[in-house]
Order: sequence, then C-alpha cells, then structure tokens
Amino acid sequence: MFGLIGHSTSFEAARQKASELGFDHIADGDLDVWCSAPPQLVETFDVTSPTGRTITGAYIDSCFVPEMLSRFKTARRKVLNAMELAQKKGIHITALGGFTSIIFENFNLLQHQHVRSTTLEWERFTTGNTHTAWVISRQVEINAPRLGIDLSKARVAVVGATGDIGSAVCRWLSQRTGVAELLLVARQPQPLLDLQNELGGGRILSLDEALPEADVVVWVASMPRMLEIDAASLRQPCLMIDGGYPKNLDARIAGSGVHVLKGGIVEFGSDIGWNMMELAEMEKPQRQMFACFAEAMLLEFESCHTNFSWGRNNITLEKMDFIGEASRRHGFSTLNLSAPVQVAAA
Amino acid sequence: MPTLETSEVAVLEDSMAAGSQLPDFTSEAYKDAYSRINAIVIEGEQEAHDNYIALGTLIPEQKDELARLARMELKHMKGFTSCGRNLGVEADLPFAKKFFAPLHGNFQAALQEGKVVTCLLIQALLIEAFAISAYHIYIPVADPFARKITEGVVKDEYTHLNYGQEWLKANFEASKDELMEANKANLPLIRSMLEQVAADAAVLQMEKEDLIEDFLIAYQEALSEIGFSSRDIARMAAAALAV
Repeated sequence: MFGLIGHSTSFEAARQKASELGFDHIADGDLDVWCSAPPQLVETFDVTSPTGRTITGAYIDSCFVPEMLSRFKTARRKVLNAMELAQKKGIHITALGGFTSIIFENFNLLQHQHVRSTTLEWERFTTGNTHTAWVISRQVEINAPRLGIDLSKARVAVVGATGDIGSAVCRWLSQRTGVAELLLVARQPQPLLDLQNELGGGRILSLDEALPEADVVVWVASMPRMLEIDAASLRQPCLMIDGGYPKNLDARIAGSGVHVLKGGIVEFGSDIGWNMMELAEMEKPQRQMFACFAEAMLLEFESCHTNFSWGRNNITLEKMDFIGEASRRHGFSTLNLSAPVQVAAA
Repeated sequence: MPTLETSEVAVLEDSMAAGSQLPDFTSEAYKDAYSRINAIVIEGEQEAHDNYIALGTLIPEQKDELARLARMELKHMKGFTSCGRNLGVEADLPFAKKFFAPLHGNFQAALQEGKVVTCLLIQALLIEAFAISAYHIYIPVADPFARKITEGVVKDEYTHLNYGQEWLKANFEASKDELMEANKANLPLIRSMLEQVAADAAVLQMEKEDLIEDFLIAYQEALSEIGFSSRDIARMAAAALAV
C-alpha cells in the first residue's frame, strides 16, 4: 500500500471541504480548532498500471493549512502526526506532499523520530523530489522546442539552483540535455560555488541579471512576495516552468509572449477514483497530480519500499533514470503546454 | 516540493530557538501550577483504581484482571505523589476532586444502572486517552525525576486503554449505540476539563493545542480499533473540537 500526505491550499478551502464531507463542527471552527484537529485518513483507492498491476493507496490529510506556517510547533506537529498515522496504518511508502516535505526539511524534523510511543521508520517515506526533478527536466526538454527554442543554443536559468530539486535539474540539464548555458540563481553564495564546481560550469547570477538573458526559466523556489516580473524585459519566447510550491507564477507576470507551465505535474493515463486532487486545484483532478505523489505510486508499483528521495542533494542521474523509466512504464506523462502553441515573436 | 519563502523560514527558526528551554521547576509560578496538575494526576489515578474495581462487579468473570489493572493505577498514584514531594509541592486535592466531579458522577450513575459500556468508555477510553496524551506531552518538559516515573506509567496506561478497546471490540455491535450516546454525554466533559487545566498546563510548557490533538489521536485510534468507521469517528470526535 502507498500513501500520500497532503493538505488544503488554504484555510478557507479546508473549511469548505470539511463542510462538503459533513463535518460541520470542524468546518465552522476557527483556525485554533484546526490547529488541534488530528490527521485523517480521508480515502483509499486503487490504481492500475498499463502493466496490469493494481495497487492500493490512501490519502491522509494532515489538517495543516498554509495559514499555520507561522506557528512552528503546530506545523511540526501536523507533519509528524500525519507521518505517524501513515506508519500505524501499515503503509509501505508515503509521499510528503505540498508544504509537508518543506516543513520536514526546513524544521529539521529528522531530529524528531519519536512521536509518542512510535519511532518513525524513515524508509517508509519519500519526499518525491527525484520524480519531481525528472519531470521538470523533461518538461524543459519537451516544451522548449515547441516554442522554437533550441536547447543546444539556449540559456536556462534555474532559480533555486542549490536546492534538492534545483541541483538535480541542473545536473540533468547540463549532463543529459546539453543546454548551451545554465544560469544559476540562489540565495546563498557558497552552495552556488559548490554546485558550479560539481557541474563544471554554469554562470552564477542574481535573479535580476538572469531573467533578461534566459530562454527558459525553471523556478524551484517560491518567489519573494513583492516580486513582479515585467514580461517586456524577458526574451521572447520565454518558457517559464513553475516548479515551486505553491504555484503562483502566472499571476506575477505582466504581459504576453511568456509561456508559463506548471512544473512537476504529471498526468496518469486513466481516471483514478479519488477526490483528493480537487483539493490541489488540478485542472483534471481525476488524472493529474504532483510528481512527488506519483513517486510513491511508482515505488509501490516497483515494490521498491525505501525512502527513495530523502535528505538534500542525494538525487543522482541514475536515480532519475530509474524513476523516469518507471514513470513511463506505469502510464504517467508530464504536463505540457497545450498544443498547438502560439509561438510569439519566433 | 521544494520551497518556502525566506521571511517565513526566518520567523520559524526564531521560534524554534525560543521553545527549547525547560521550565524553572523551582519558581513559585511553576510550583503553584504544579500543585493543581499534580493533584489532578493523583486524583485521576485514584479514580481509575476505584473505577476498575467497580467494573469488576459488572464483569465478574474478569474481576481478577480488573483488580490487577486497578493495582497498577494505585502504584502510579504513589509515583506521582512522590513527584510532588520531590519538588516540594503540596497537591491541591480538593481542587482535583472538584475537577473530576462531573465525570465521576456520570461514571457512578452508569455503574448504578449496570451500564458496562458507558463505564468502559469513561474510564478505559476517555480517561486513559486523556492520560496518555497528557503524559506524552509532559515527558519532554518534566523534571528528571518526574520524567522517569511518567515514562514508566505511560506504558501501563496503554495496557488499560487496550483492555477497554478489546472488550468493546468483542462486543461492538451490541455496544455501538450506547457508545455513541456515552460519547455525546462525556466527551464535552473531557473538553471542558482540558480548558480548565490549560492555563496551568501552559506554565508547565504543555500547550492546549497539543493536548487536544494528542488526546483525539489516542481516542480516535481506540474508536477505530473497536470498529467504528472513519466517518463515525470524525463525527464523534467533533464534539471535542467544538467549544
């Protein structure tokens, strides 16, 4: 059995969902009530791969909402309790979705292996970052040419280059795709230098410097709140892959000629009988999902019960090959720009 | 998924650093709060002892097992009494008696009517789940002496929760309606007890939010083991979230 730990995109959305499910007491409650609400195993469902194998999954809502991010202890408790529930339900491999893995990583929850009487078994969990990185890399490879961008001549900026996903995307694009030049953007200088060394190339730039030069921009960092991007300053065409969480890029870009694609999203070949992706506001909620969730499915299909994506900067090209191959075999495709694409100024 | 806005991370790291210190066990404020919390625990263990003995009259074939559980509770009571003594605190037992009075009354009424299901729900599910969650939250912020004692106690309390759980599971169909009814009548009492104790618990660095969530996790888990569906459980537990 595989598991997915997720949450609503906002407090308001969470209340509405609770009301639809008939949990009026909780739906009417204020944020404090939600802060005390335990995680819930909301639904179980089957997924059948084109190989014929059927697996069963469970969706656990951590009852976390992004409004709780400023409450450190609450956020930590929500994640750990949801993980404990997954383990107690005997789920072999569970993906940490949305803010769950961000909280896990940023609040260093590895120090909190003991939850009440349970010792969390890390091998039961995956961040899903390997699949996300592979999907984003493939989205660059598939969609840039559709806009008339020749990657062998293109500059690709990776914003958040030193993160777990960002560094993996850089590795793939420089070694597998062979892009002309990588523009490396991140907050901290030392990890950027380390990455540049590891890659044997790439130019370190600030965001402002990188944007006007880039044919493709891969965002794997959330943007500063006040950032507005002026489309006129960008190259035309420009492919922007929004691989951060939450996905809020298209609202920030003024003007046209810029093509924004939701990054790290995959589509399954047939409908899945779940309701959970409505929470994530997917366009086709019966088929589309975060690649990190899909990684838990892939690991279950492959009977690979291990914390495949774990820690920071452990994503190798070999691991990306493995998960990418599994992704194709089991019927997933990456989300792409809808064809035919209007090629602006090409 | 990879990111979080910089400003938010900074806020969170600050609060992390602030939350890592143990309370001053010798301060007057701590001792004052401890006099009530400690009394609640002592009284709670005493009530538990008496309740298991009483349950033995309703389930005579398991009288010996229930007497064994009752003896464990008495041992806990002595352990917690020594925790208070160790800090030089006198437990405020009259306060604790008042604190338990409504739940005590409901248990006694059910006992008079021979309602074994209600009695089990009150003692073996609600009180035990309440105790387990509170002890788990107390352990990391307890003084070293109390910490050791509480760690020993919490293991036993699972045995007690398990006892009620197994009995109700074996008799689930016959007990279901009475459980729903008893939940409705008694869960709000637990919630109000949590509210009464919240300010004192906060002095001990035990937060209300944690207490409620952990209690609900333990309680929901027990209801699930007994045989209730997730939907039933969420509805039953909702009474604890609403004030």
